[in-house]
Amino acid sequence: MAPVTTGIAGTGSAFMATLKRDLLIASKRKNDMLNPFMFFLIVASLFPIAVTREPQQLTDISAGVLWIAALLASLLAMDSLYRSDFEDGSLALLLLCPQPLYFMVLAKNLSHWLVSGLPVVLVSPLIAYMLKLPAESYLPLFLSLLVGTPVLSLLGSIGVALTVGLGSRGLILAVITLPMTVPVLIFGTLAVQEPRFGADLAGYLAILGAQLLAAIALAPLASAAALRISVN
Amino acid sequence: MNWTWFHQLGSPKSFYALTSQWLPWLVTVMVISMTAALVWALLYIPPDYQQGYTTRILVIHVAVAGTSLAFFPLMAVAGTITLVWRIKLADMVARNAATLGAWFSFVTLATGSLWGSVMWGTWWEWTDARLVSMLFQFFLLLAVIALRSAMDDNDKAAKACALLSIVGCINVVIIKYSVEWWNVLHQPNSPVGMSNSGANGPEFWLPTLLMVVAVYLFLTVSLILSTRNEILHRERKAQWVRELLAAS
Repeated sequence: MAPVTTGIAGTGSAFMATLKRDLLIASKRKNDMLNPFMFFLIVASLFPIAVTREPQQLTDISAGVLWIAALLASLLAMDSLYRSDFEDGSLALLLLCPQPLYFMVLAKNLSHWLVSGLPVVLVSPLIAYMLKLPAESYLPLFLSLLVGTPVLSLLGSIGVALTVGLGSRGLILAVITLPMTVPVLIFGTLAVQEPRFGADLAGYLAILGAQLLAAIALAPLASAAALRISVN
Repeated sequence: MNWTWFHQLGSPKSFYALTSQWLPWLVTVMVISMTAALVWALLYIPPDYQQGYTTRILVIHVAVAGTSLAFFPLMAVAGTITLVWRIKLADMVARNAATLGAWFSFVTLATGSLWGSVMWGTWWEWTDARLVSMLFQFFLLLAVIALRSAMDDNDKAAKACALLSIVGCINVVIIKYSVEWWNVLHQPNSPVGMSNSGANGPEFWLPTLLMVVAVYLFLTVSLILSTRNEILHRERKAQWVRELLAAS
């Protein structure tokens, strides 16, 4: 007799399949990729207009402006993480998979970050130049965003999973998610600002990295539980 | 181990009956201790040599602030009970705890600002870690309330809020330490060191201790009363509630 287990994919291949599927869907919807990027660009350019044109003052606020713009871009992009899957029913199918939901959620988060978070990180030094961030802060900014924005995605995922079934969810998602992002914002901006005054960048990156690891370990569990609550 | 008491307390009907017996005692002790603490704190604490009579604000502030830290752990425990045992009563408690917690946090911020306006010369100071982390605890409690009011389905809202409370409970701790480190790393010091500046003798900490007891009793009584209200509302179609209302 053939082994009964044939047909059930291992967790690793299910992870890769989910990742591939989401990346494929994203590649068919170029706008979803472009919008967070555009949002980041536009919000960051609004600050000089609203606050100041003085290069010195821009230098003072630029680290915070870049981080908040990245935070808002990540938040606004979050809504698309589960919505279309919820609407066409594939989310319900995902919940029925025999593989652990933790890894599925992680795969979805990863692909979402690759599509909406990474472009923002990559373009950040350019916007930093426009906002007169000192040149020696480009690398700290890039690295802190690289480590910090995945945490934002993982935290946002919990909020999206909790609110995916609601009719109007834009603001409630922000109200739930934004207070939780405070630790990332604190150490992200410190990592950009403080090395200029002689502090060690590695320490701040280590704290951000610790947050990332904690988020990878715990946030998908919360997201998975939230999805099971929202979809039934 | 015998778990009957747990399930009995978990049933709204017996919780209602049990608290009917407790409430008169609790209210009596609460009113006595609250009155004593208020009179003592507001009329009899001697003026501090630096801060004058403003330390009297601190008695209320310290008690309320300490108590407000209990809400997220309380909601997280209630949330766990909701998710694991599906006990409806836990959710009723959690729901009212969120509202009460938001009020406690607000009163903490308000009394702290009042005291700060006199002693620091400012109503708000970003360099004090406690102010900032209390503000974000307040925001997170409002987020739980907002999530609840956004969901129509009672059962779903209960589970969603339970989960958010557990996540929020962990998050409040992380935020607290982040904000503290932020101040240590980024700012030299608070403009005025607040710690211990008022608590310099038994004439201060004794009424504060009494006030802490009174505020915890106030919290317990408020929570019980609002939960009883919620029970009557949610179980209004049940036989025992109808009989109760007909009898009164």
